[in-house]
Amino acid sequence: MADAFKNTPPAPEDKGAMTAENIAAALAGESQASQKYLAFGDVADAEGYPNVARLFRAVAYAESTHARNHLSVLGKIGTTTENLKAAWGGETFEIDEMYPAYNAVAKLQENKSAQTTIRYALKAEMDHQGIYDGTLKGVEGKKDLGAEPVRVCPICGHTVIGDAPDECPQCGTAAEYFKEF
Amino acid sequence: MDDVFERRLPKPEELSAMTEESLRAAFAGESQAAEKYLVFAEQAEEDGYPHIAKLFRAISFAETRHARNHLRVLGGVGTTAENLEAAFGGETFEIDEMYPAYREIAKLQGNAQASHSFRYAFKAEMDHRRMYSEARAQALEGADIADAPVSVCLICGHTVIGDVPDKCPVCAAAKEYYRTF
Repeated sequence: MADAFKNTPPAPEDKGAMTAENIAAALAGESQASQKYLAFGDVADAEGYPNVARLFRAVAYAESTHARNHLSVLGKIGTTTENLKAAWGGETFEIDEMYPAYNAVAKLQENKSAQTTIRYALKAEMDHQGIYDGTLKGVEGKKDLGAEPVRVCPICGHTVIGDAPDECPQCGTAAEYFKEF
Repeated sequence: MDDVFERRLPKPEELSAMTEESLRAAFAGESQAAEKYLVFAEQAEEDGYPHIAKLFRAISFAETRHARNHLRVLGGVGTTAENLEAAFGGETFEIDEMYPAYREIAKLQGNAQASHSFRYAFKAEMDHRRMYSEARAQALEGADIADAPVSVCLICGHTVIGDVPDKCPVCAAAKEYYRTF
């Protein structure tokens, strides 16, 4: 973010409890809208509406700026060390509690697609937890991560540092489909 | 989305109520994680960790895949005409109810920064609703919208189709702070 705009995005502040609750709800709403619009953009492309696809992607980005502003007011944007700790904590909660609990319910209720989407996420969160853990140790010694690319399976989110496997171990997607960062 | 992808993606199914509730919560969680990681990537760049920035962007993309998968199983991804209808409905709720209520409470509680963040979002949602309404009318006729760039202010999310204003009418950011799609 350029310095000229440091003061323009909303800043953290002490909040009334109700306002804090509302900002958190608005962050959840904007985040979900942004993600929906990205998915809708893919559908629009597939249906032959490239300009509607572009509109969805642009508006998804606008919702991302709102999510960032709300997150800033909540005081949840820290230093990179703090952010890695927060990210690690979120992944750990999902691995230890959230997805196992959801998976147990989906199994009990025999909802197969739900089990698939939960399993894809759970497996990838385990990749993320491990990567964040190693990265955090580096940053505590002021070291950046290595320069090699990070690759992500576009179906299940499986995440690797370095080369993509020939086939995704979670969902079988071929290496060529992995998205490189 | 080509067939190779389509086959492996989790599909919509009849969900039991508790499983549906779980997936809705998981969709909210993944969406927020994806947005947070994008913000953390910007922070990592500012802190001089370009490769950690790359990592946050990659993992954000992985969470985006999970959000899309959960949304599909929930039956939340329709045709483009349906998606535009859903998007229009979401923006309308935010404009007519959510943000006015949140702003009133933030004002009552003297939370200026929260008000500021709500106002930016509220203003942009009005742009989005209008664009979605026009796009929906086109899609119902089977037509795409016009081939024109869509630009978004990176501070407040103000969204325009066509030429970018010299200054953002909502937050006064200069032209060069718009991102064009």
